[in-house]
Amino acid sequence: MVFSQLSFLYLFLPVVMLLYFFASDRARNVMILVTGLLFYAWGEPFYVVVMLISTLIDYTAGRLMDRYDDRDDLRRVFLLVSVCMNVGLLAAFKYSDFIFDNINALFGSDYTNPVLLLNKAINRIAPFGLNERRVELPIGISFFTFQSMSYTIDLYRREIKVQRSFVKFAGFVSLFPQIVAGPIVRYADVAKELDHRTVSTAGVSQGFERFAKGLAKKVLLANSIGTVWAQIKDTPFEELSAVSAWMGILAFTFQIYYDFSGYSDMAVGLGRMLGFTFPENFDHPYVSTSVTQFWRRWHMTLGGWFRSYVYIPLGGNRCSTGRNIFNLLVVWGLTGLWHGASWNFVLWGLYFGVLLIMEKYVLKDILPKIPAFVRRVVTFLLVVMGWVLFDTESLGAAGSFFRAMFGANGLISEDTGYLLRTSAFIFLICILLCGTLHTRLITSVRGFVSRKVSPKGMIIARTAAVTVLEAAAVILCTSYIIGSSYNPFLYFRF
Amino acid sequence: MKKTSGKKTKALCDLVNVVTVFALLFGMTIATSAAPKVKFSENQNRYLADPPRLTFKRYFSGAFTDDAENYISDHFIFHDGFVAMRTRLDMLQGHSDVNGVYILENRLVEKIAPPDDSVTEKSIAAINAVAAGTNTPCYIMLVPTQAQIYSGELPSDAPNPDQKQYIDDVYARIEGIGTIDVYSPLSAASNEYIYYRNDHHWTTQGAYIAYATAGRRLGYEPFPAAGFDIDHSPEDFRGTFYSKTLYPDIPADRLDLYLHPAQEKCTLDVYGDVSAEPTVHEGLYFREFLSRKDKYSTFLGTNQPKITIHTGNEGGKLLIFKDSYAHCLVPFLAAHYSEITIADSRYVQLPYRDYADPDDYDQVLFLYNVSTFMDGIRIV
Repeated sequence: MVFSQLSFLYLFLPVVMLLYFFASDRARNVMILVTGLLFYAWGEPFYVVVMLISTLIDYTAGRLMDRYDDRDDLRRVFLLVSVCMNVGLLAAFKYSDFIFDNINALFGSDYTNPVLLLNKAINRIAPFGLNERRVELPIGISFFTFQSMSYTIDLYRREIKVQRSFVKFAGFVSLFPQIVAGPIVRYADVAKELDHRTVSTAGVSQGFERFAKGLAKKVLLANSIGTVWAQIKDTPFEELSAVSAWMGILAFTFQIYYDFSGYSDMAVGLGRMLGFTFPENFDHPYVSTSVTQFWRRWHMTLGGWFRSYVYIPLGGNRCSTGRNIFNLLVVWGLTGLWHGASWNFVLWGLYFGVLLIMEKYVLKDILPKIPAFVRRVVTFLLVVMGWVLFDTESLGAAGSFFRAMFGANGLISEDTGYLLRTSAFIFLICILLCGTLHTRLITSVRGFVSRKVSPKGMIIARTAAVTVLEAAAVILCTSYIIGSSYNPFLYFRF
Repeated sequence: MKKTSGKKTKALCDLVNVVTVFALLFGMTIATSAAPKVKFSENQNRYLADPPRLTFKRYFSGAFTDDAENYISDHFIFHDGFVAMRTRLDMLQGHSDVNGVYILENRLVEKIAPPDDSVTEKSIAAINAVAAGTNTPCYIMLVPTQAQIYSGELPSDAPNPDQKQYIDDVYARIEGIGTIDVYSPLSAASNEYIYYRNDHHWTTQGAYIAYATAGRRLGYEPFPAAGFDIDHSPEDFRGTFYSKTLYPDIPADRLDLYLHPAQEKCTLDVYGDVSAEPTVHEGLYFREFLSRKDKYSTFLGTNQPKITIHTGNEGGKLLIFKDSYAHCLVPFLAAHYSEITIADSRYVQLPYRDYADPDDYDQVLFLYNVSTFMDGIRIV
């Protein structure tokens, strides 16, 4: 299930919230687990079992680490089992086709991916409908494996306490707001709230406000601008004019931002409604003044995860320059690979790795002297270039697209004018809302009004405005969900 | 004191907010489930999704959840209102096209994708092969759609392939086949009511122009328009373009039946499946559709793989490979042939000789509108 489906918005969400709100604390924990499994099983009828088994193994590893608290060797074994299992799941379900494709291409061999044989065997037991030609990625596997690992690793490091209740631990992993597309909530982030949390009208109100904002970002902005990219991506890149190519990749730039940050907003809001405080995932990334800063503002929970569990264990920056550069390249190669099993993603990650190394070691004295505006534009353009690698099917396609961007097929084509004119409005909205201008505007309006109105009046006025906007967002989004077949979720693939 | 009252206000406001929002969500859900369910949407001209069936196989294949989603969407309360709202919102954003349809001042027209030459080449090769394989004389008539005839009403920068050029190009690549130019007479009559405003078909008046033009090539003497008794339907026809946009501001269309005594003896063998027995229908018109949404099906009924018309008149036998544009042209032709077979190759996987053998006829006509032809006619 995804948040922008009618079944979620009009059935799952209101029913679950109603029951949850009036349930006892104990019942709430069970509800979280059950609803999480239902939510996941709606989209992944079979792999929900895989998720449950992996949860059980991580839970058991945790309990055993706690049981043999004084046996460092055993604790290391339990950690290793957990990490290997999670990485193994990723390898099997996300990377095995890629690995075998590459091996077969390199050696001219004809090995069959064993996961496909397994799928075939399972289908023979009963018609589970597993794909026997390509391994299909279980939704959210990149997210829930990383979340589970954060538990066992932190427990091994003795940074958190063990979770004795299976219901609570499984509830954490399958927590429906974040299971399919993050943010990557670490166990430590919500450990306290798993045991004690307050569910209040204020929390539900705040949470829904955030949810509605995310829904509007996703359905009204990301989907609309996404159709521009979809149209341009349909044109053979060898015929694409420069202006169309730029328009297309800029459309994708905004699509992926509003899609993913909208999803994160919805997740944070839903978490808040359930009494959880999730970490933030985005902080106006497109106004960053350096690539370093961009990655502190884009998909923050993923960056934080790689920092804690890969970069710092490798030695971080407390080592020689050479080793640090090596560490950075490893982390960024992996970050790229995390996004998908293709060389495009690896290259995309390494591209940022190299840019970050440049900023850190080569440009660190020059950058501060450049005006912020220029740095902002250059950073944005570098990120946009990255998206070409990210959203084209192969390195060859990325190459053709770059050539098109720089005029290999002429400056404009017949359809450029129409596309530009009909998408101008949505581009304008996307540009205006990705910075901080509108929040500053709202703050100053609020400041102005508060001087005229009593604090009580302010609260009432704000509530009225928010309620109207929320209802409008729900109705507008409903009309777009019903009236259109285009409603993808980009980060599902990862 | 003041602080507590502020807190109270806040708590009350939160409650009002939460209750309002959830009342909206629950309200829509309850209204949706309480509303009577219809099987067929007249407005959208399609069958709506059935309730999802839960079986082991359907659950694991994902069919159950897909069906459930479609079911909720199709039967959602105010469904058509939501679709119409979306159309308005898209237009407000500056879009001229919604769901593949350009919304113009006086009419809706199709947004046609640039033609794919490999598809066109395949269709041309198929037609050339049919002509080469028979001694029966063959003819082709490609009919421009409203997107061409009214291209001047489109925004000047709107992508819209040049159908005139496309027709010329196809005619130039066709071998051993008589070509019939209806572009010139239709565009000369563009001020007349020759295309529907809300539907992708030509009107009977448009088809009459083609009938009058084709006589010279096909060798019949067309009747003057005055020789027909014209039956007008009420102006309440909203066709396929309307269904896609639910845009209500274009005046509804009128359906005209050009009646003639020569049509009265016609019987139809309707083949829903070309290898099964046909069902028989008396007369060219299916008047029950006049009171339905899909009014164009009044002409020869809904699209079928093959229909053979026994006209009861003197004349030769005509085979037409066609799309639905042929349906309102055939009643004119009926007077001049003893038998007319229309075949829609897009719906048949069999080799054409198995269901429509040119050798059994005196003439073969390929009749398609340009949009269909660009999509491919798939004669095998």
